[in-house]
Amino acid sequence: MAERSTDFDAIVVGAGPAGSCAAIELARAGKSVLLIERGPFPGSKNMYGGVVYPRILDELIPQWWEEAPIQRWVTRRSTMIMTPTQALTIDFRSQNWAAPPYNGATAYRPDFDHWLANKATDAGAQLLCSTVVTGVLRDSAGNVTGVRTDRPDGDLTAKVVIACDGVNSFIAKEVGLYGKADASNYTLGVKETLALPKETIDERFGVRGREGVDIEVVGCTEGVNGGGFVYTNLDTVSLGVVLKLPKLAAQKKRPEEIIASFKKHPAIAPLIEGAELKEYSAHVIPEAGYKMFPKLVGPGLLVAGDAAALCLAAGIWLEGVNFAMASGMYAGRAAAQALTRGNTGPDGLKPYLTMLDTSFVLKDHQKLQEIPHLVLSDRVQNQYPGFIANIVERMFRVDNPTPKPGLRRILLEERKRAGIRWRDLLRDGRTGMKGFG
Amino acid sequence: MTVVACLKWLTPHDADDRFGGISPADSSALEWALRLGEQRGEDVLAITVGPAAADTALRDALACGAQRAIRVDAVDELLSTDVAAAIASAIDGVDVSYVCCGDYSLDRGTGSVPAFLAAQIEARQALGLIEVVLGSDVIALRRLDGGRRERLRVDAPAVLSVEGATATLRRAPLSGALAARNATIEVVAGPVGSHLPTARRPYRPRARVLPPPKGGTLERVQSLLSGGAATKSHGVPVELSPDEAAERILAALDEWGYA
Repeated sequence: MAERSTDFDAIVVGAGPAGSCAAIELARAGKSVLLIERGPFPGSKNMYGGVVYPRILDELIPQWWEEAPIQRWVTRRSTMIMTPTQALTIDFRSQNWAAPPYNGATAYRPDFDHWLANKATDAGAQLLCSTVVTGVLRDSAGNVTGVRTDRPDGDLTAKVVIACDGVNSFIAKEVGLYGKADASNYTLGVKETLALPKETIDERFGVRGREGVDIEVVGCTEGVNGGGFVYTNLDTVSLGVVLKLPKLAAQKKRPEEIIASFKKHPAIAPLIEGAELKEYSAHVIPEAGYKMFPKLVGPGLLVAGDAAALCLAAGIWLEGVNFAMASGMYAGRAAAQALTRGNTGPDGLKPYLTMLDTSFVLKDHQKLQEIPHLVLSDRVQNQYPGFIANIVERMFRVDNPTPKPGLRRILLEERKRAGIRWRDLLRDGRTGMKGFG
Repeated sequence: MTVVACLKWLTPHDADDRFGGISPADSSALEWALRLGEQRGEDVLAITVGPAAADTALRDALACGAQRAIRVDAVDELLSTDVAAAIASAIDGVDVSYVCCGDYSLDRGTGSVPAFLAAQIEARQALGLIEVVLGSDVIALRRLDGGRRERLRVDAPAVLSVEGATATLRRAPLSGALAARNATIEVVAGPVGSHLPTARRPYRPRARVLPPPKGGTLERVQSLLSGGAATKSHGVPVELSPDEAAERILAALDEWGYA
């Protein structure tokens, strides 16, 4: 058997959405690229249970929706404000999202990532699975020149390394692109996959065919700052919570207890009654957005996807895979251009930052940089849900023979009862308007 | 000469090829084949009878150090005799020293392919091995009924079937893993169509031979009704130091045939 070279133009670490998109760009540019995956196949290590917004794939895979392994196209988006006994839901449905070019979709990431990695190998990238990158190789000047793997004789060299190795990116940390880790920048996502017959899901969630539902919930995490979610797959429901790490530790609560309480809520329990638990999993999520970004370019190194903390947790917008795919695509594009120019130093790789800056990747994060902190603040988590739910309850409660109170009076009384100061309310409103406005 | 490793590709029920693989016993067999090849300075040939997805197992074998891989193309489930005949046919012309197989596959395998294969290629057989020692001779320890053991010197040509715990498959080196992705897998045509009986019956575990119950009629009835629990010894209480207790446990395990 002929020995193969262990030297490549580029090495991409991690065959998730960011890594595969980077590899597609590099391979299409004619560069030799090795995509390394620690699992036995791309997606095998994934526990993501959310909604994918693949619009950015229009650039890479035209008509991607005809072949992408999606579960359901999201046609209903609900935002639920919850207290232990109340739930206020803002529900939006659009049939425009049930037809090409679609909007968001639920997907099993082992399927989605596997499909996307196949696109990279179809383009000419080489995929190496069951291989863990344990560190980077550097020259005497500190430039990254390759990676070390856990295999015997496991060194690989390349002119550019793209780190798409996930939220705990050991590569970015080893090269010093991250500052001191701050646990408050992270949440713990905990998810259950619950099996139900497709017909039951269709009936309970009010959808048909491949239509799906995305429900985001605030106020369901028993005082631990975070949120909840319910997503419909074809014959399973992904249900879970995200929990701010320091709060979870301080309150000494177990995530599975918080999920159990969420599942028992009167607004959730009927949706999943009789479901069979198929999977329980947990993962850390980089939720602090713009304020926790590492340096995205190092000497001979680019960082993309979760490794670059490119996860948007901005209340009504909870996105990550689209940011991963876009950042991976731009990283691959910038690396290919740098390789063509023969300059893979920090200056040569800098166009990556320009590409991110001029796209939604950094624009959205810059605009919404205060929102993750606002959404996970104590007021939004612990005071506003009850405040809003009580206002709505009193609006719809009939207290005859007492005449209906005015909305202004309800608002003033409930604000006082919730202990919310006007200046905090105004400050949060201003922050929200600045981000969302 | 050539050492042959026989591998069986398995895909879990309700799962696709991504979740497929070989059994721990086959991994162990591959490792013994590689060790034998290294010790004897012979090439290692990995072979499987299965669908195209089974190429993954062969590539893993090449990555670990096998020099050649053959897949006998077969989509359907086959009888053990047919599998053995297909392998024998595919390695016809190869100067075989040893053939290493897993003792039986995880998909309710009967463990009979190695025996049929030994008959087909007219080789010696040492089956159900729990230990293999490679020295000037190949010495194998074979599990027998009743906790007994049989130590054999196995001269080539021979078929060895090993249990999964006898060896841990080595980690493939990076160069091997890279080269194996594009390595050539020889594919030969295999038996066409299923040779298994068409009527499927529920799975029944293999029969075990139990010693006849001892004692009087009442005790025998009680023994039968209680699955042996009523007449089973409940052990002997002893008070020993930790060291003595460990010695006692090892002695008991030896006595029961587990050592």
